[in-house]
Amino acid sequence: MASLIGFYSLIFGLCLSLIIVFFSIKNFRNSSIFDKKIISLTFFQFFFVSLSFFGLIFSFINSDFSNETVFNHSHTTKPLFYKISGTWGNHEGSLLLWLLVLTLFIFLFLLKTKKQTKQYRNLTLLIQQIIIIGFFIFLIKTSSPFNYIFPVPMEGLGLNPILQDPALAIHPPILYLGYVGSSIIFSSTLAATSLNYISKEWAKHIKKWVLVSWIFLTLGILLGSIWAYYELGWGGFWFWDPVENVSLMPWLALTTLFHCILILEKRLILTSWVIILSISTFTLSMCGTFLVRSGILNSVHTFANDPERGLFILIFLFGLIFLSIFIFLFFHKSDEKNYNFFWLSKETSILINNWFMMYFLTVILIGTLYPIFLEVISSEKISVGPPFYNKLIIPFLIPFLFVMAIGPKLKWINSDLENKFFLVLFLIISILISYFIIKNFNGDFLINTILLSSAFYLFFSTSKDFLVRGFKNLSQNLAHFGFSLLILSILLNNIFSTEIITNLKIGETFQSEKIKINFESIKSKNIKNYDVIIGKFNIKNLNNNIEVLKPELRIYNQPNIVTSEADIKTNLFTDKFMTMNLVQNQDYFNIRYQNKPFMIWIWLSVLLISFGGIISLFNKRNEN
Amino acid sequence: MKFLKYIIILLFVFKFNVSMASDNDLQLKITKNLRCLICQGQSVYDSDSEFANSLKLLIEMKLNEGLTEKQIYEFLKNKYGEWILYDPEFNKNTYFLWLLPILMFLIGGAIMFKIFIIKKN
Repeated sequence: MASLIGFYSLIFGLCLSLIIVFFSIKNFRNSSIFDKKIISLTFFQFFFVSLSFFGLIFSFINSDFSNETVFNHSHTTKPLFYKISGTWGNHEGSLLLWLLVLTLFIFLFLLKTKKQTKQYRNLTLLIQQIIIIGFFIFLIKTSSPFNYIFPVPMEGLGLNPILQDPALAIHPPILYLGYVGSSIIFSSTLAATSLNYISKEWAKHIKKWVLVSWIFLTLGILLGSIWAYYELGWGGFWFWDPVENVSLMPWLALTTLFHCILILEKRLILTSWVIILSISTFTLSMCGTFLVRSGILNSVHTFANDPERGLFILIFLFGLIFLSIFIFLFFHKSDEKNYNFFWLSKETSILINNWFMMYFLTVILIGTLYPIFLEVISSEKISVGPPFYNKLIIPFLIPFLFVMAIGPKLKWINSDLENKFFLVLFLIISILISYFIIKNFNGDFLINTILLSSAFYLFFSTSKDFLVRGFKNLSQNLAHFGFSLLILSILLNNIFSTEIITNLKIGETFQSEKIKINFESIKSKNIKNYDVIIGKFNIKNLNNNIEVLKPELRIYNQPNIVTSEADIKTNLFTDKFMTMNLVQNQDYFNIRYQNKPFMIWIWLSVLLISFGGIISLFNKRNEN
Repeated sequence: MKFLKYIIILLFVFKFNVSMASDNDLQLKITKNLRCLICQGQSVYDSDSEFANSLKLLIEMKLNEGLTEKQIYEFLKNKYGEWILYDPEFNKNTYFLWLLPILMFLIGGAIMFKIFIIKKN
């Protein structure tokens, strides 16, 4: 029943799209004021898509296995929370979520833009409706979440246990708000370009939408990263997995766009560049969906392999790209008039920021796509992994950090370096500290010293801004300070992480000069949808402090998969991370114990960064 | 300068467990740079599959035999193909992969230079 309502709501939603398009064109041509009816219609569209979405959630809660999606991804013994999150833990449901966010954003956009002109609002709506119609057809035709199966199975196939996790349950909705939120930037930029509407006021208005997407995308990536850290069980938080890259690319584009819009807002230059960035942000989001959904990528995230779906998105994507190129070339009037700023100015530093960000984006884009192309052309398979990205990104990170340290201090148009004393002092201190750390703890690597110096430099410089200028320009100071903290924590974490991998039997003890790991006992328990084996380990360090860690092995019944759950003891300075795994046909367990300094600071700093964004979003005052 | 002193003292206080470069570390480093061929997007280091475990043993053995890191990569490449290496080699297949980003960086710089520096004069 719920499935049926869900399905017909989708059809209604699609019909509403056509009605909206009709009224919108009529309004665009004839009337002089914006037709209120259109807002109501977009609300109804949002309402019907929500209804469809809730229909699916309801089928999941009720374990209605006559629905194919529910049958494939749920099970009666699953806890309620994961039944609900199972709704978007699969291809069909996650696309329905896409559609929901698309319709939500255009509705909010029309509500929030009462001050903008009728033409601009209508045209944005029209372009957004093209995207919405595309996704409606895609959903209904190739991946309907409401397919019926008969005879009705008694039991479902269950959700992949590694997806049964609180962080991952909310990760997709948050990430999608960011991902799909960029669609509104795309539509409104194209509309503004066609109408020659781009102005300082427009920049100010679109900045808020960029920020909204950016905040959600940042938080979404953070959640995914935290999940990977404690769930995938090897203590890393970023793997340069293609699907992670696919979420990082729109983030980089959005960050660049945001900085660029700041220039546009102040100086009304670089409009072409802003348009290109807006288009590429959404294109990258779509591209990501295509890559993930088509099953081309070899990744932990891939859950659908269907060439027809991939083909549809690809054609749709090219359609949108052609539309945007057409609008850009035919309607955009270039503004090359007042580039009158000097080399030492805020404009230059933001341009350099853009330049480097685009480079990082290019590295990731090429690293992700190149293996696919190579395989198609020469049928040779290569892998592009962390070493590639490290080699190409790290050397460029150093000047980037230095520019970031100095840039925000500069003024518009023409500036002077103030407080040269502090700039030099911080530089010397940073180099000394880094040299000292690397020398004493890690022996080698010149590049580490330089990299760490630049990170410390940015850290000191942003801390000073933060302390001295404080509430004046709080959002920027907070975000930049957070970024410096992020880089610093990642670096220190990388340099100082240690690990011990060994096989132990119950009762055995591993001993090195620094640490003693005692495998005390195991306990087994029976929980609703899995059995669990809990190990108990006593870890004794040099100072004779004993820490007890209890990693788990979970044997899920539906589907039958064994996962290992890490036990993590977090404090301000370091994380102690332990996992255990079965060794086949033996009574040994494979134990992995890691000491990871400053882990929590990585999460906190990303929170700080997004918090900076949130403050900027709610800041009514015009910031300098 | 007091600040610096405090930082140095702080760093001493939280003595980090620091590893020395040993065979064990080298083995971990190598396994991190290898793809687990039967897994979905995991390295040999990350994985606990049979394939990954046997490869870990193989690498340990090869290291004990005295092979260098490079020789081990070469050996595995011949056995399993380039797909196993996370660090793509620089050869005719990958010229574009390695050089295109840097080329784009230079082109970007050149465009900026042309628009903002030359036009102005």
